[in-house]
Amino acid sequence: MDNLARVHFPASLPEAADILRTRPGARLIAGGTDLLVKHRNGLLPDVTDFVDVSGLGLHEITLTEGQVRIGSACTMTAVAGHPLVRERFPALVQGTLQVGAFQIRNAATLGGNVGNASPAGDSIPPLLSLDAAALLFGPAGRRTVPLAEFFNGPGKTVLQPGELIEAFLLPDRRTAGAFLKLGERRAHAISKVSLALSCWESAHGRHEVRIALGAVAPTVIRCRKAEELLSAAPWPPATDLVAKARALVVETARPIDDLRSEKNYRRRMTGVLFGRALERVLV
Amino acid sequence: MPTPELIPIRFALNGRTVEARVPPGMTLLELVRREFRLTAAKEGCGKGECGACTLLLNDQPVNSCLKLAATLRPSDRVVTLEGLADDPLMQTLQKSYVAEGAVQCGFCIPGMVMSSYHLLRIHPQPTAEQIKEFHSGNICRCTGYAKIEQAVAKAAVKAAATRAPTRDPGQAAASKKKEAR
Repeated sequence: MDNLARVHFPASLPEAADILRTRPGARLIAGGTDLLVKHRNGLLPDVTDFVDVSGLGLHEITLTEGQVRIGSACTMTAVAGHPLVRERFPALVQGTLQVGAFQIRNAATLGGNVGNASPAGDSIPPLLSLDAAALLFGPAGRRTVPLAEFFNGPGKTVLQPGELIEAFLLPDRRTAGAFLKLGERRAHAISKVSLALSCWESAHGRHEVRIALGAVAPTVIRCRKAEELLSAAPWPPATDLVAKARALVVETARPIDDLRSEKNYRRRMTGVLFGRALERVLV
Repeated sequence: MPTPELIPIRFALNGRTVEARVPPGMTLLELVRREFRLTAAKEGCGKGECGACTLLLNDQPVNSCLKLAATLRPSDRVVTLEGLADDPLMQTLQKSYVAEGAVQCGFCIPGMVMSSYHLLRIHPQPTAEQIKEFHSGNICRCTGYAKIEQAVAKAAVKAAATRAPTRDPGQAAASKKKEAR
């Protein structure tokens, strides 16, 4: 069951990419909060090597050239507590603070949560609502992928063999926002439905709005029709417009029945979470 | 199956530099329990949900069942409950747990008090909400949460009254920085 034979400690990104490319059984390990659970339960029979990311210098959060750059190995605690994030991205602060519980957030990383590509990952809807892009490093060099185009399905991403997430790039702007999650309890629960809403002033009396849904489709998804409706209208939106946007949000959700919840309940709660998130932002 | 290599590691355990050679899949919890015979921390769920394995890594509580021992670095500081045996704040907490009847089967308690300790280090006078929040990663299957919360609240009052100075093995500088934040 356990074929793990080596742990690598690359000191540079090219070195890490090279190990990942040449050893098909190699997997990156950062916080380990998801990977080690799988490993210890025998769910990673093909993994022969762990590649530790802690020596790659991916722990920085910086502001450069109009972008906040968050290193992929930043923990949830580090992201939620950083002034550059706290001053700009309330949805991301709230999302990262709702991952797991205290002990998990001290170890789990943003790159790990995104790289796992769970539709229920709680840091992902906030990142999508903030127009985040992933900066990838691979054997062919660097490339930037908008996070909205990063996921192909549950656990599936556009990452190529040997490629890893170096950082997340978020446009530097002050946003209002909220992340709301419906789970069995407040700590540790995997989301049944989650919603992130972020907005920022685009012109006098207008706000650019982004809405992302978690756990109601094979990947986290954006609600583009509702976003366009709200972004084009005067801000704050009139009651009838909110009702229309809400209907569009609910329409976007494509939930399933599973052990955590039911399709119909999830769909209805998507609209409820949208209403609550908008209320929070408008206060 | 390939023969796993042993990985040499060095880190600070309860204020002392230690060395070990660990298999690739060994967790920090297994390391402190098996190699160093520090058995306060327990494996409850092995999935990072119950918190019975909570240790302090660089002053932050983590699930030691999900920390790969091989990835410990010389700059890492691990503190187990044993390392806090003489710590006045930890002793105040332990007495308070006993006085309030907060200990039932006891399995969760070594992890629970690590979270209590971390809370009172950061928030010496915590709100009821903070007490709940800081223990949200620790599960007590006897479900004795109310008494645990009371014990922590009373320990905070007592610690404030006696101004118990806290001893912090080998990490005074780091914790000063945190308090300044």
